[in-house]
Amino acid sequence: MTDASLPNAGATPKSGSLHEIDARTKKRNAAEKRFRVYGVAAIATGIIFLIVLLFAILTNGLGAFHQTFISVPVYLDEAKLDKKGNRNIDDIKKVSTFGYNPLIQKAVLKAVEDAGIETPLTKSKNMKALVSASAAAQVRQAVIDNPALIGQTVEFRFLASSRVDGYLKGRVHREHLARDKNIDAEHLDIVDGLLPSGVVKKSFNPAFIFGADASESRAEQAGIGVSMIGSLFMMLVVLFLALPIGVAASIYLEEFAPKNRWTDLIEVNISNLAAVPSIVFGILGLAVFIQFMHLPQSAPLVGGLVLTLMTLPTIIISTRASLKAVPPSIRDAALGVGASKMQSVFHHVLPLAAPGILTGTIIGLAQALGETAPLLLIGMVGYIASNPPGGVVEGLMSPNSAMPAQIYEWAKRADPAYYERAWGGIIILLIFLISMNTLAVLLRRRFERRW
Amino acid sequence: MYDTEKLGTDVNQNDTKISARNVQVYYGDTHAIKDVNVDIGSKAVTAFIGPSGCGKSTFLRCINRMNDTIDVCRVEGDIKIDGEDIYDKRVDPVQLRAKVGMVFQKPNPFPKSIYDNIAYGPRIHGLAKNKAELDEIVEKSLRRGAIWNEVKDRLHAPGTGLSGGQQQRLCIARAVATEPEVLLMDEPCSALDPIATAQVEELIDELRDQFSVVIVTHSMQQAARVSQKTAFFHLGNLVEYGDTSQIFTNPKDERTESYITGRIG
Ligand SMILES: Nc1ncnc2c1ncn2[C@@H]1O[C@H](COP(=O)(O)OP(=O)(O)O)[C@@H](O)[C@H]1O
Ligand SMILES: [Mg+2]
Repeated sequence: MTDASLPNAGATPKSGSLHEIDARTKKRNAAEKRFRVYGVAAIATGIIFLIVLLFAILTNGLGAFHQTFISVPVYLDEAKLDKKGNRNIDDIKKVSTFGYNPLIQKAVLKAVEDAGIETPLTKSKNMKALVSASAAAQVRQAVIDNPALIGQTVEFRFLASSRVDGYLKGRVHREHLARDKNIDAEHLDIVDGLLPSGVVKKSFNPAFIFGADASESRAEQAGIGVSMIGSLFMMLVVLFLALPIGVAASIYLEEFAPKNRWTDLIEVNISNLAAVPSIVFGILGLAVFIQFMHLPQSAPLVGGLVLTLMTLPTIIISTRASLKAVPPSIRDAALGVGASKMQSVFHHVLPLAAPGILTGTIIGLAQALGETAPLLLIGMVGYIASNPPGGVVEGLMSPNSAMPAQIYEWAKRADPAYYERAWGGIIILLIFLISMNTLAVLLRRRFERRW
Repeated sequence: MYDTEKLGTDVNQNDTKISARNVQVYYGDTHAIKDVNVDIGSKAVTAFIGPSGCGKSTFLRCINRMNDTIDVCRVEGDIKIDGEDIYDKRVDPVQLRAKVGMVFQKPNPFPKSIYDNIAYGPRIHGLAKNKAELDEIVEKSLRRGAIWNEVKDRLHAPGTGLSGGQQQRLCIARAVATEPEVLLMDEPCSALDPIATAQVEELIDELRDQFSVVIVTHSMQQAARVSQKTAFFHLGNLVEYGDTSQIFTNPKDERTESYITGRIG
């Protein structure tokens, strides 16, 4: 037997044994492994950045949803608020917020005394630094709404000043008070003393979500609500202009237009427009809509028009892609039974492309919602929107801000309390964007192509 | 070369449905159909055979002006249906296509219910006055398409959920629902298995009673089984046209002979 196998044993087989890996294969396998490691590393880096970002946003921004409040009973002194005593609403309205401040300060001082806090601040005027400047307006409004309150003692919940709020949130430190002329260490002692009885309390602040922006000195009062309405009106303009124009243009280009040099040129330009920096659309909007057409500055209508220009290419590109994805056999089938070109498009092609169009539109809207740069140029940044609009026309035409513009504005302001609000605004903006993108994904899943 | 003009008129056909004279088709610079003359009979099945790329589909699509949808395509010559020039300016291709139905190579039901697939044509042409009439048309068409028994219990299920053979019969039923006079079929069985093919062929044979059927096929056996007349195309020319039995047993042109004996194609 051994003899027989001898000649074979001497000759090395041409293609090696399958049980040992040759050098070439080893090298290839190593390369593949390396590539996979790079891929995993890239994704891991991305995820780490995402986690850091989310962590930063949440830790910095969640505070904005909580605010410190001071609840005290205020005696609404008739001698101050209605000297004539006949509850004439016009006389009551003549008393400005300055007339209310002493009452509020007195009420706070009383609460301090009741709590038995030892403090050198014994004058009611000293209490000014504790309560938000918005408190007087709050009481005045309550009195005007119901003059019968005059002469009574009514429980109010005031916003604490942003320094007090910052102290409770760990933003204001005692060591740095020397440089801060808005508040003293004695004030903070009072705050500490009032905490156990619940007079000073941190709780959820819906006004941040639904309220209006405030002046630089009243960070505690500022909310994103009104600029949210501004964004909403802009999105309505974008939706009602960009969707029909974009879809009509895409259908024409994709289904009807002859393929020639002109349509090629248009096609190239649409792709180019999608890449144009948004600030360019902003200056275009400034020149055309405001300077030439004399539309009002800072109006959501103008913002919406500018964002429409910006969103159109996105919508056209995604609509054309989804029209292209409808198999030509469907068009043939429709034409074959005698449908006109338009019937074939509207009865068969468009319904099949609709989910894709919708997805593209939502993503375009989400992009527009987060866009800030073009709004800089048409004056929607820096405007303090203090009142929600009264109706649709006012909503479109009267000056307003938009969420990203509001966030930018807050981030710019000096008071660190506004920094926290900028992060809080980002959380709200992100919630909108994530919901819109989720909706787009769900729609795409739900109406997955079925042919 | 064979005189195709003579060929067309040679055929002893009492009632000509479609007559083509000097038809040329160009795709840009490509001359795809070269001077074709043919008379297609009424209430008969005419088969177009020939090697791939010889222009069978192109010529078929001239008959219902589906070529209009291709930008680069240009058709010259005359095609008449019942003596009327279908390329006349007054002819609306949409109206023509209701009269000349078409079944495609790949079954292409609309991604809608079986019922809506059939009802679509009658609806857009206003063939039914009310729901009951439409129901009737749908049933009649599905029966003509020899698929009624298989789908009558699930008319509202999607047409795309049927098997390939069923889908193709659904497409035939959809084509006949608009009451066409001519039915064009472009390789209707090429995507089907042998059993489904047999069913469709049987159906085509029945359709002959009511329609003039023109079928493109790459299978000579199929042409022999279903058609009465056969036209052999080669490189854009109509080489030979005649009774199916004659073409297959006694071809006059040597190219036809080479093709049916398997030497070209
Ligand atoms: N849409 C088109 N554009 C350009 N050329 C085409 C087009 N359709 C068909 N052709 C050309 O016309 C010729 C005939 O094609 P076709 O009619 O599809 O052949 P068949 O159906 O006999 O296989 C082929 O050479 C093909 O390349
Ligand atoms: Mg073909």
